[in-house]
Amino acid sequence: MVMSRLQKIPVVEEKKGNPLARVFDDLVRFCRSRSLFILHYCTGCGAIELPPAMTSRFDMERLGIQPMVSPRQADILLITGYVSIKTLKRVILTYEQMGSPKYVVGICSCTVNGGMYWQSYATAKKLDEYMPVDLYIAGCMPRPEAVISGLQKLMDRIKNGEADSWQDYYRNYDYYLGNQQKLFGEDWQTPTDIITEAKHYELMGEGTLGQHTRLLEQHQQPLEALEMRLGHKLKEPVE
Amino acid sequence: MRPENYEAQRQPPSNEYELNFGPNHPGIEGNYALKVKLHGDIVLEAKADGGYLHRGFEKLMEQRLWIQNIALVPRICVPDPSPMELCYSMAVEELCGLKVPQRAQWLRVMQLELSRIAAHLFTFGGHAATTGMYSTMYWGVADRDLLLDLFEEFTGGRVYSIYNIPGGVRRELPEGFLQRLTETLDYIESRLPDYDNLFFKNQVFVKRAKGTGVMSREQALEWGVTGPNLRATGLAFDVRRDDPYLVYDQLAFDIPVEESGDAWARTLVRRKELMESIRILRQVVEILPDIHGPIRAPIPNPLAWNVPAGETYTRVESSKGELCYYVVSNGGPKPYRVHVRGPSSMHAVQVLEKMSVGSRIEDIAQTMFSLDACPPEVDR
Ligand code: SF4
Repeated sequence: MVMSRLQKIPVVEEKKGNPLARVFDDLVRFCRSRSLFILHYCTGCGAIELPPAMTSRFDMERLGIQPMVSPRQADILLITGYVSIKTLKRVILTYEQMGSPKYVVGICSCTVNGGMYWQSYATAKKLDEYMPVDLYIAGCMPRPEAVISGLQKLMDRIKNGEADSWQDYYRNYDYYLGNQQKLFGEDWQTPTDIITEAKHYELMGEGTLGQHTRLLEQHQQPLEALEMRLGHKLKEPVE
Repeated sequence: MRPENYEAQRQPPSNEYELNFGPNHPGIEGNYALKVKLHGDIVLEAKADGGYLHRGFEKLMEQRLWIQNIALVPRICVPDPSPMELCYSMAVEELCGLKVPQRAQWLRVMQLELSRIAAHLFTFGGHAATTGMYSTMYWGVADRDLLLDLFEEFTGGRVYSIYNIPGGVRRELPEGFLQRLTETLDYIESRLPDYDNLFFKNQVFVKRAKGTGVMSREQALEWGVTGPNLRATGLAFDVRRDDPYLVYDQLAFDIPVEESGDAWARTLVRRKELMESIRILRQVVEILPDIHGPIRAPIPNPLAWNVPAGETYTRVESSKGELCYYVVSNGGPKPYRVHVRGPSSMHAVQVLEKMSVGSRIEDIAQTMFSLDACPPEVDR
């Protein structure tokens, strides 16, 4: 009797490190989950439910969630619906510019599996092939209540330290880059040097380097200042 | 993030520079971009860069059954989806020779006018936000939500209602709905003086909007401008009156016009249209209880429905302008070709490009919102 009751108590893993530091980490995570800034980038039709969710009626601000205009200061990248291939490039560039820790939330069925546009030639079907996604909110389109409850789940996950998909991007960079190259051609590259960042954060994993990142080095062009690029010629499209 | 279809012509002199305005920019409406060349903060040249929302609708519709397309078409224009489904249904009805029952026609008018009010409130909110008046945005969005509640009640969907099907509408009204509709209309009407004080008479807005994005009537006709934007140049053209569909010929309403053709005039036209829509809805509330009968003409099994061969062109007045569908059938279970002529393709590309030139950079957003362009419909 007693034994069985004891067995139900979850085993608490012994945490390493200074207990004071652990308390401090918890505190930081708690604060982080209470002030989230959503990047103001509407990729698809699900974005129409965000103004009601953010303004007076449903009022996301009471949870500490606010829109933010620049990617460098934002925490959440909200993908509101289908991403066409042209948009996906911008989404990836934006994602890489955001400072860690960053969270990706896919709103709408279209980000999960293509939704309505499963047979469209112009949209990317599964978002998590191109970047790690923390949370999906399914629906066509999800109501503001669903968006808010989804974001509350994200807050809980952040508080408990479970929302760490951004580390996944560094650990499995080769996989994500491979999928991106499949879409955009194999000389696709972004201005952000993910591999150096991974080294800096000590997040090099088994999947960080691989055949796709080797292509990156092969096609590497030194980054030039913007003025230098104004005259630059379009490359031939890669078949 | 340079656009694929854009190449700089020459090395600009040091006081001229280029700027990417969007797609990831709070001043742009939706997922849309403009590339502007500036001298100081005066725009020398602007080039629209769409395609971020392209889904290939016209191709997708050729691959789906006639009835399945009803669920697809509202996605073309997100803020004002109802005219899309109506216009497509009208095209299919015309091809099949279906006659829509009277009651269904009145219900459709009700849905269209509700959608128009919702779209206009949303536009006011967006437009006010570009001039820095965020309270109007909060109010507009909150009041629009009351209308979305009504939509949810009688169609089942908040934004995409998918209420029309070829031959009629899908559902009968819930009990007591007209009463609640009247209450909501009363409430919105009682709010309008507040909107006037906060937004339409606000000197911040008036000073910025007057003289911004001016077009003459000749230019408007040449560029294919329709809807409130055309009426703001003094030409009273409205498909509802000049080529009536549904039961608009039995309703009394005015076509508001303004003369000056700038952002101010366009907004005022919408403000007056809101009143007209409320007037139409009040007439509907009065007449609808006396009209009985079915809400749907019988249609064949929708999953094996071969629409007779032929082609047709239908048009309706959406809140953004004239919306047309060109539908071709070859007698098969799926459309042979569908073409959507949306109003925003003209407004957001050629008109915006030309009107931005010479204006200041902070007025681009205002010009775009005053044109009420809808990017998903530009790209389709
Ligand atoms: S799931 Fe529906 S609402 Fe969301 S982006 Fe796709 S089509 Fe639009």
